[in-house]
Amino acid sequence: MTATDTIVATSAISAHGVARAFGSVQAVADATLEVRPGTVTALIGPNGCGKTTLMLMLAGLLRPDAGEIRVAGADPRHDSAAVRAAIGWMPDQLGSWDNLTCLQTLTLMGRGYRLHKHEARERGVGLLGMVHLSEFADRPTRVLSRGQKQRLSLARALMNDPQVLLLDEPANGLDPRSRIELRTLVRELAADGKAVLVSSHVLAELDEMVDDAIFMSKGRTLGDEAAAKVADAKRRYRVATLDDAALREVLAEGGVPFDDEPSGVVVRVGSEEEAFQALAWLMSRGVKVHRFGPAGSALEQTYMSMEEERR
Amino acid sequence: MTLVDQNPAPAEAPEPAPASSARPAIRGNPWLPTPRGVWLVTGIELRRRRPTVKGWIFYGLLVAVILGLGILVAMVSPEGLTSIPLEMVLVLVLGAGMLIAPSLAATSINGDSSEGVLAPLQMTRLTAGDLALGKLLSSWLIAFFVLLTIAPLMVYAFVRSGWHGDELAIVLAAILLVVLTSTAIGLAWSSLAARAVASVSLAHLTTGFLLLGTLLTFVFTQPLVSETVTDSSRYVDYEALTDEQRAAYDSWDWSEVDPATLPCTTDTDPWEYGVAHTERTAWIVLANPVVMIGEMSPIVSYETWEEDGRAAPGLFAEMHASVSGWRIGPSEADLAGQQWDECAMLVADVNGEDYYGGSGGDWEAEQEERSTYDRAPWIGLGVQGVLLLGSIWIVVARLRVPYKKLRQGSRVA
Ligand SMILES: Nc1ncnc2c1ncn2[C@@H]1O[C@H](COP(=O)(O)OP(=O)(O)OP(=O)(O)O)[C@@H](O)[C@H]1O
Ligand SMILES: [Mg+2]
Repeated sequence: MTATDTIVATSAISAHGVARAFGSVQAVADATLEVRPGTVTALIGPNGCGKTTLMLMLAGLLRPDAGEIRVAGADPRHDSAAVRAAIGWMPDQLGSWDNLTCLQTLTLMGRGYRLHKHEARERGVGLLGMVHLSEFADRPTRVLSRGQKQRLSLARALMNDPQVLLLDEPANGLDPRSRIELRTLVRELAADGKAVLVSSHVLAELDEMVDDAIFMSKGRTLGDEAAAKVADAKRRYRVATLDDAALREVLAEGGVPFDDEPSGVVVRVGSEEEAFQALAWLMSRGVKVHRFGPAGSALEQTYMSMEEERR
Repeated sequence: MTLVDQNPAPAEAPEPAPASSARPAIRGNPWLPTPRGVWLVTGIELRRRRPTVKGWIFYGLLVAVILGLGILVAMVSPEGLTSIPLEMVLVLVLGAGMLIAPSLAATSINGDSSEGVLAPLQMTRLTAGDLALGKLLSSWLIAFFVLLTIAPLMVYAFVRSGWHGDELAIVLAAILLVVLTSTAIGLAWSSLAARAVASVSLAHLTTGFLLLGTLLTFVFTQPLVSETVTDSSRYVDYEALTDEQRAAYDSWDWSEVDPATLPCTTDTDPWEYGVAHTERTAWIVLANPVVMIGEMSPIVSYETWEEDGRAAPGLFAEMHASVSGWRIGPSEADLAGQQWDECAMLVADVNGEDYYGGSGGDWEAEQEERSTYDRAPWIGLGVQGVLLLGSIWIVVARLRVPYKKLRQGSRVA
C-alpha cells in the first residue's frame, strides 16, 4: 500500500499490469507506465497494439479487466468522476456536433464541466484563438477541414483546464506549421505542470516534444529494454566526411568504437559537451567533416530495432 | 496562420478557469440525474436538431395549412355537438408523436457514439442520468411541439366536443405519457443495439406489439377461456300442427287459433358453440396504450348524453363500451345458451307485447351498462410506468462509464 501511495504522490498517471480484452481479442495484455506532472510522455507502437484502448482505460471510459490505475490520485474504476474532472482527453476519432458552431461547441462543453455560461464562453473564445480557429467561431463545425476539426478537438480537451492530458494521435492531419505549434503548445502545457501522454506515429516529431517514451507491442508495454535502447539511440552521432576511409583510419587509430553503416559512420557520445570535444578532436586530426549530428530520430531508431509486426 | 509569422507559436493560452467555478473535489461515480445536467443535455440536443431555414419555412406552411383546415371545417360543419373531430385530432397527435419521438430517440445513443460525440460528453461532469433524461426529454419535446402546432385545430374541435377542459387535459396527459414511454423504449433500444437501423426498427416493433399485439393476443386467447354452450331455442313444430293451426300459422291470422296452444319443440341435435369468458382476459386489452387513453376519456352515457350536455358517443366512448363489454363478460343468459323461443314470441306478438329474445337481453340496457361502466386505466398506466422506468434504467446502466461491456461490435471512440 505504501508503494502505491508514493506513486500517487509523484505520478499524475500510473498504471500497473493493466489488461483488457474485447471478447477473444486481448487488446491490452500488460501495460505499465508512469507519467509525472510537468512531463510529456510518448506512447508508441504499431497499429492495433492497444494504445487507444489503454488511453480509454486511463480516461475512465473503459474498465480494465486487471491491473491498477491511478490518475491524479484517483482510481477510475471507483472515482471516475474525479478522474474525468482532472483529465483532458483528445480522442482519435473526430466527432463534432455538425449543426453547432465552434464556439457553441466549446461553450456547451465548458458548461458540461460546470463552468458558468460567461466563463465557458470566455474560455472558449480564448482557446479558439489559441488553436487559430477564431474566424470559424460562428461557423458550424461541419464546414471545418480535417485539420481544423483536429484543432477544435484539442481546444475541447483543454476546456476544463485539466491537470492530465491524454492526446490520441493529435498531429493527425495537421499541416506542418500546426504540428510545430502543437509541439510548442504541448511543451508549454508541460511547463505549466501538466502531465501529458501523447500517442503518435510520427516519431521524428515526438523526438523534440517528449521527455519519455513508452513503447507498446501486442498489448504489452516494453519497459526498461526499450528505455535503454532509446538512451543508446540518443547517443548515436553520424559523421559525414569527404573521405570516409580516412575517418575510419583515424577512429581505429584513436581506439574509438564506431558502427560502420551503409549510410555512414556512427559514433557514440555521452553528452553535447562530449560531442563538441569529439568534433574538435576529429578536426584536429584533419578529418574533413562536413556534417556531424545525432543519427536521426532516437525514437524512430528504437522503433525500427524492435522486431515487431503490425496486426 | 499567416506565413509572415516566422516563429510559429500558439497564441497565449487562456487563463485557468476562474475561481468562482472552482470545482469541489468529487468522489465516486455519480449517475443520478441533476436538473442542471438534464437541462444542459436537453439544450444541446435541441440545438443540434434545430431546423434549417428550409425546415422553418416548411413548418410555417404546415401551421398555415392546419389553421386553414381548421377554419374551413369550422365554417362548413353543421351545428351541434360532436366529439369525432376532437378525437381525430387526439389520434393524430398520438400517431405523430409515436412515430417522430421514438425515431429520434432510437438513433440518439448509438448514432452519437458512432459519430464520436458521445464519449466527449461522458468525459465531462455530466452523469449517465443527465444524458439519459436529457436525450429523452429533447426527443419528447419535439413531439410536444407537434401538439402545439395542432393546438389551434384542437381548440376548435374541443369547443364542439361536449368534453370538459379537465377531461381534455387528462387525455392529453395520457397521450404525452404514452409518447414519453415509447420515446424511452426507443432510447433503450438505441443503447442496446450497435446500429441505428436496428434500434429504429426494434423501437417501432415494440410500439407495434403494444398496439396490435395486445389485441391479437386477446383474440387468439379467446378459445382458451371459452365455455361450450348448447343452443336451446324453441320453435313451432310445423310437422305436428293440425290443419287448422297450420292455416293460421301460414296466414298469420290468429282469430281462430290461440297461439299458446301450438306444439313447441327443441332441436334434437342442438347446435353447440363457444362463449368466451372475456372478463378473464380483458386485462390484455387494458394493457394497450390506446385503450388506456380511451379509458381516461370522459364517460358518455348511451341514454342520457343529451341531457348531460354531451355529444353522441364518439370513438373513445365506443371503445370504452366495447372494452367494458369484454370486462363484464357473458351474462347468465349468454352462458345458458341462446334461448330464442318462437312460441313465446308468437304469444307476445299477438298480445301486442315486446319480446326480447331468450337471452333476456334488453339490448339498450346492456349498452347503457357498458357505456357507463367504471373506467379501468390502471393496468395500462401501470404498463406504461413500468416500461418507462425500465427503459430509463437500461439507458442509465448502459451509459455509465467506465464501460464493462460495449455494444457488440462497436468502439468507445
Ligand atoms: N471495441 C472493440 N471491440 C473489439 N476489438 C477491439 C475493440 N477496440 C479495440 N479492439 C482491438 O484491440 C486492438 C487494439 O486496438 P487499439 O484501438 O487500442 O489500437 P491502437 O494501438 O490505438 O491502434 P492505432 O495505432 O491504429 O490507432 C486491435 O486489435 C483492435 O482490433
Ligand atoms: Mg488508436
